[in-house]
Amino acid sequence: MTEPILTVDGLCVDYVVGAGRFRALDDVSFTIEPGRVLGIVGETGCGKSTLAHAIPRLLPEPPARVRKGRVVFQGTDLLPLPRGRLPSIRGTGIGMIFQEPLNSLNPSFRVFEQLAEAVRVRRLRESVPGARGAPVEPGPFDYTRRPLESPAEALSRPIRPGGPVGEALARPAPVSREVRDEVLEYLRLVRINDPETILRLYPHELSGGMRQRIMIAMALSEKPALLIADEPTSALDVTIQAQVLTLMKELIEEVRASILFISHDLGVIAETADDLGVMYAGHLVEVGPVAEVFDRPRHPYTRALLRAAPSRYKSDGPLDTIPGSVPNLSHLPAGCTFHPRCPIARPVCAVDPGPPLAARAPSPGTGRVHASACHFPEEVSGR
Amino acid sequence: MGRSPTDLVLFVGKRLLMLIPVVFGVMAITFFFTHVAVQNPCVVWYPHAKPATIATCIRTFGLDQPLPVQFYRYLTNLLAGNWGTSPLGVPVLPTLAADVPATLELVLASLALMVLIGIPLGVLAARSNGRLGDHLVRIFYLSGWATPTYLGAVIAAILVAPALGLPSSGEYSSIPPPFPQVTHMSVVDALLAGNLPYTLDAIDHLALPAALLAFINMGIATRVTRSAMLEVLPLDYVKSARMKGLGEFVVLYKHALRNALITTTTVLGVTAGGLLSGTVVIEEVFAWPGIGAYAFNAITESNFPGAIGVVIVFAIGVVVANLIADITYGLLDPKVEWR
Repeated sequence: MTEPILTVDGLCVDYVVGAGRFRALDDVSFTIEPGRVLGIVGETGCGKSTLAHAIPRLLPEPPARVRKGRVVFQGTDLLPLPRGRLPSIRGTGIGMIFQEPLNSLNPSFRVFEQLAEAVRVRRLRESVPGARGAPVEPGPFDYTRRPLESPAEALSRPIRPGGPVGEALARPAPVSREVRDEVLEYLRLVRINDPETILRLYPHELSGGMRQRIMIAMALSEKPALLIADEPTSALDVTIQAQVLTLMKELIEEVRASILFISHDLGVIAETADDLGVMYAGHLVEVGPVAEVFDRPRHPYTRALLRAAPSRYKSDGPLDTIPGSVPNLSHLPAGCTFHPRCPIARPVCAVDPGPPLAARAPSPGTGRVHASACHFPEEVSGR
Repeated sequence: MGRSPTDLVLFVGKRLLMLIPVVFGVMAITFFFTHVAVQNPCVVWYPHAKPATIATCIRTFGLDQPLPVQFYRYLTNLLAGNWGTSPLGVPVLPTLAADVPATLELVLASLALMVLIGIPLGVLAARSNGRLGDHLVRIFYLSGWATPTYLGAVIAAILVAPALGLPSSGEYSSIPPPFPQVTHMSVVDALLAGNLPYTLDAIDHLALPAALLAFINMGIATRVTRSAMLEVLPLDYVKSARMKGLGEFVVLYKHALRNALITTTTVLGVTAGGLLSGTVVIEEVFAWPGIGAYAFNAITESNFPGAIGVVIVFAIGVVVANLIADITYGLLDPKVEWR
């Protein structure tokens, strides 16, 4: 088994607002192996976005507070890192695409400036002495050779004053012509037909779909080892959603990056992800290969979610709904958080939260782990 | 509509045309107020004069004419470049031409301090929102805000000046300086003459009044920057800047501040117009040969032409400061179209 790119281990995140404490993430554990796409689904407010933000330490603290857990990225636990070291992890290490393309580009700068910045950051790091491999330009499609220093190497370097600023001052700026060419290359990569024109525009002069493509280009241009896509299509119109999704799918094929793909849309996940994690009220309740989870869900929430989703196989009658409502994160039910809404709940469910996901062995069929936090997974998949 | 240079020129032209009604209105109001408030200024000017002298004075200045006639005369003279004379016969326009630049120098210097110190303090405060840094910054700018100008000026002149070894009076240590005062801005004149010792001397003289003026008005820049930054910092584009792997300095001062400055600029523009007329006390205490001192004297001496001239200059100052703020705003925000 290959070394995972990312291991999230027992991550607990609270939001502390006044005297209230909301458990946004409770004991979330999973791994992402190189080149695999892990999809995370769940209802609004189940902690998906908190998870996406917690990994690269983007959560505003306060009100968020990481209570415990580890986020090990390429062998380095990110949570105890001093803030000053985080920029060296972000961008080339972990890239991110946000939910709202309308807000995620800076309104004051032209598209070129924002993309060039990302390219320059990567080029700067590639030119750092001691980086692995020769700084040969592999082109955006080749993710196999990555002449980037690992976070461990980045961390072992002596700190220069001002971090990236100091670095920028210390070495000559990369040739602007090359940066420009590379920016154009990435715009073409995200299927923008007229990149020369787009470069000169401001974000407000672009459509939502266009902006999301630029965000994708921006994240990819740093050749991140791990890409986090936080609902990249949710804020777009349905037609644009389909276009961006197709693009994402093609790019996932092309770049073979490791991706954490967060969505509330099961269909999107089914088309893009290799593995699927299902979240409910801050808990990861089931993880496994996408096809297996879809065919044989091992948690009652997953099964209910699948039945509630519109599908072309079910066109008659109303969709199923899940009885009850999502619990208040400040007063989670004891035991399994899903038990008040669960059709197969028994007395033990109200007391014992269920087996930890990490403790599950790989399934004999595929060799991959398909784990459920339910006490009675067989009963779910049997029905 | 648009953002081409032509649009900008049209925009500036239109705004400058708006100066005409503003200045006329301000001038008319001041004219009638002064002339109605003091019916017979000759008595004020020459309190112990014989009635015959007073009569001569009234005739000389045309005060026996109906008010509209006096206004018409004043207006035509004003347009011809004759802004009248003080009771002692000193012409108003040349005096203003010498005094306004000195005040402008003081205002620009303190504005520069407000921008260079006040804005970074606002960023610092937003960064440490609710924590120690935020409170320290608030204590600093609130103590400036709460300082009455007369008290601050006196403390600065008699306590701070000797402690720092800074001069607290005038523009130069020895006057008149051995070079022509072309612009009437002390530092600029010394620089133009290439006289380094005098330049440094002028900066020394400028330092304390400018710092005090900045200290008193700093709060507005810091406060507005702080709240604008607090609005901007949670936005997604700040997160995406962080996720590019940019350092905190670039994230704060390039990506966040660039957008927060749009608010700060507007407020600073309004403040700058006000600063022009807010220097009276500081100029008095520091013997700064600016328009503030002149305005004060013009009013107490019933020097009508002087007072109206000062008000006209203030009005122009406010309009131009706002215009500059609007242009800067447009340069900062690409969504603005020049209209």
